[in-house]
Amino acid sequence: MSFTLFGTLFINGLSMGVIYAMMAMGLILLIRAVGILNFAQGELFMFGAYISAALVLDFHLPLPIMIPAAMVCFAVVGLVFMFTIYWPLRKASYAATTIIATMGAAIVLRELAVLIWGPLPRSMPPLVVDEGRPAILHLGDVPLQWQNVLIIVIGVLLMYLIYLLFEKLYVGKMMQAACQNSYAANLLGVPTILTIAATYVIVSILVSVGGYLVAPIFMVRNTLGVLQLRAFAGVVIGGFGNIKGAIIGSLIVGLIEVFSTLHFSAYRDVTVFLTLILFLLLRPQGLFGEKIKDKA
Amino acid sequence: MKFKNLIGAGLICAIILIVPQFLHGYPMTVVNVALLFAITSYGISVMLGMGGQLSFAAVTFMGLGAYFVANTTTGRLGITIPTMLALVLTPIVFAGVAFLVGLVLLKLKGTYFTFATIALVQVAFTFFNNYSPLFGGPDGISGIPTLTFFDHSFRSSGSSNEWFYFISISVVLVAIVVERIRRSQLGRALASIRDNETAALTFGINTYLTKVIAFSIAGAFASFSGALWVMHGRFVGADMFNFLNAAQFIIMAMLGGVNSTVGIVIGALLVTGLPELFRAFQGYMQLFWGVAIIALMVFMPTGLAGIKDMIVEKIRKYKVCASRREGDADATDS
Repeated sequence: MSFTLFGTLFINGLSMGVIYAMMAMGLILLIRAVGILNFAQGELFMFGAYISAALVLDFHLPLPIMIPAAMVCFAVVGLVFMFTIYWPLRKASYAATTIIATMGAAIVLRELAVLIWGPLPRSMPPLVVDEGRPAILHLGDVPLQWQNVLIIVIGVLLMYLIYLLFEKLYVGKMMQAACQNSYAANLLGVPTILTIAATYVIVSILVSVGGYLVAPIFMVRNTLGVLQLRAFAGVVIGGFGNIKGAIIGSLIVGLIEVFSTLHFSAYRDVTVFLTLILFLLLRPQGLFGEKIKDKA
Repeated sequence: MKFKNLIGAGLICAIILIVPQFLHGYPMTVVNVALLFAITSYGISVMLGMGGQLSFAAVTFMGLGAYFVANTTTGRLGITIPTMLALVLTPIVFAGVAFLVGLVLLKLKGTYFTFATIALVQVAFTFFNNYSPLFGGPDGISGIPTLTFFDHSFRSSGSSNEWFYFISISVVLVAIVVERIRRSQLGRALASIRDNETAALTFGINTYLTKVIAFSIAGAFASFSGALWVMHGRFVGADMFNFLNAAQFIIMAMLGGVNSTVGIVIGALLVTGLPELFRAFQGYMQLFWGVAIIALMVFMPTGLAGIKDMIVEKIRKYKVCASRREGDADATDS
């Protein structure tokens, strides 16, 4: 394999990995905040892509107006999602109930997208355009798509900001407290409902921005949601419940996927998910996870 | 109790005999397919309802059963066996396969196991969709012979009455097996695992082996249903066995009530039948469907069977109150 090919593939894999990492990080934030595995994560991602496509293609908003408008839309989607899928079910006794509800939400979002924007896939222009075609960045003699580079830069920046918010700021500490023991946090004056709502909004924004970034590469269509399965794989490979692990696991998934297309493109899912099964069997706690303890 | 069973059996016989008098053509096909799916759904009921293990692997075993029949009865691989033999062999073979797969996957617990089954579905789907020698690739396999039952070939159009009789009798047999499992040592062991795995372990239940056996039973049901499906439809393609359909089967089981033997059939009929019934609103049907699932989970987490239980409970309470009031009235009178 020549170095240029390796470099291009590496950046492609990394950018896909960052996309999966954004979804995976959202998954972990939700699991930590409300203990729910969200099977509609991919559909939120897809919806984000559709919303940004609508703002760009239908309303022709320039970028400085489009970004805040999109953020507001994403936040609203997150809030609606919380108050329909999580809030009525927060006291459900059967764990499968909430999971099935998120599956129902996935169907609703998929169908809403088709009803609102039609069944045909929409093509988004990339962020950097060079004479009507996606611009290419030449790094040495390695040609890279600008969009892939931007995905990595924006994605990493966004994830770093959210990480800072949760780990360093007082608000983040409050949110973590509400996650770990909502009763005690309530006693200490932490408004649990607000922190959970904030978590949903952040997750929705994070995932939807992922959808916006990936739209020029994959086209905007309602099957984008299946990418969430790769994020699941990343979460498990990295170690359940661990943000750092989930991000690194997702990057690994992206890289495995892209490099396996080189030899057997039809079977790239096999390589990704066999890796997942192998990881589950040999190291079920993931790369960075703690040893799983049984709950007595 | 015996009397109640007799009534139930009579009712089922009556339904099986009456339904074909009113349904013909395409609606019959839909009912047949729904009943086929109910068999797979029973497997999910054993895994999720009894054992509390959320597994997406049902479609994969359905696919394996379907492709097994497709390969052995068309002679694609050089050998041709009678369809009846293929149908009998499928659940036996894939109970064994599921046992081996279960031995590996059930080393994992809870959500990890669920993720592993998702991975299994993805890997299997990719092979079904791409590997032509065994699975026909993206084109699938067509021209599969219809079921021949002791020299009697079933009519190839899947809407015929004989298909309905055969499939509904299969469903009844599977339902009886599930009922027996529920009342057996295995069923109670599974229930104890669902409610508290650590406690089950301390009572001396081999939780690992119990779960593997349940997984293997579910695999046998699913593969049997896949085999019937492929003989009924006479075509098999990979699209049936993807992750979205796997979720659909879980919903099917949850909708009727994951622990209710009758509810499973109703759930299967609803999930398969409703989209056909409201074909005119095709665009909106799926949307309503998703909303209905969420609403059901919010208001009735135990499925339709839960509604029945609730009504029965209400009536019982009402009766108790009424008799008490009567009792009070009698007391004051005297």
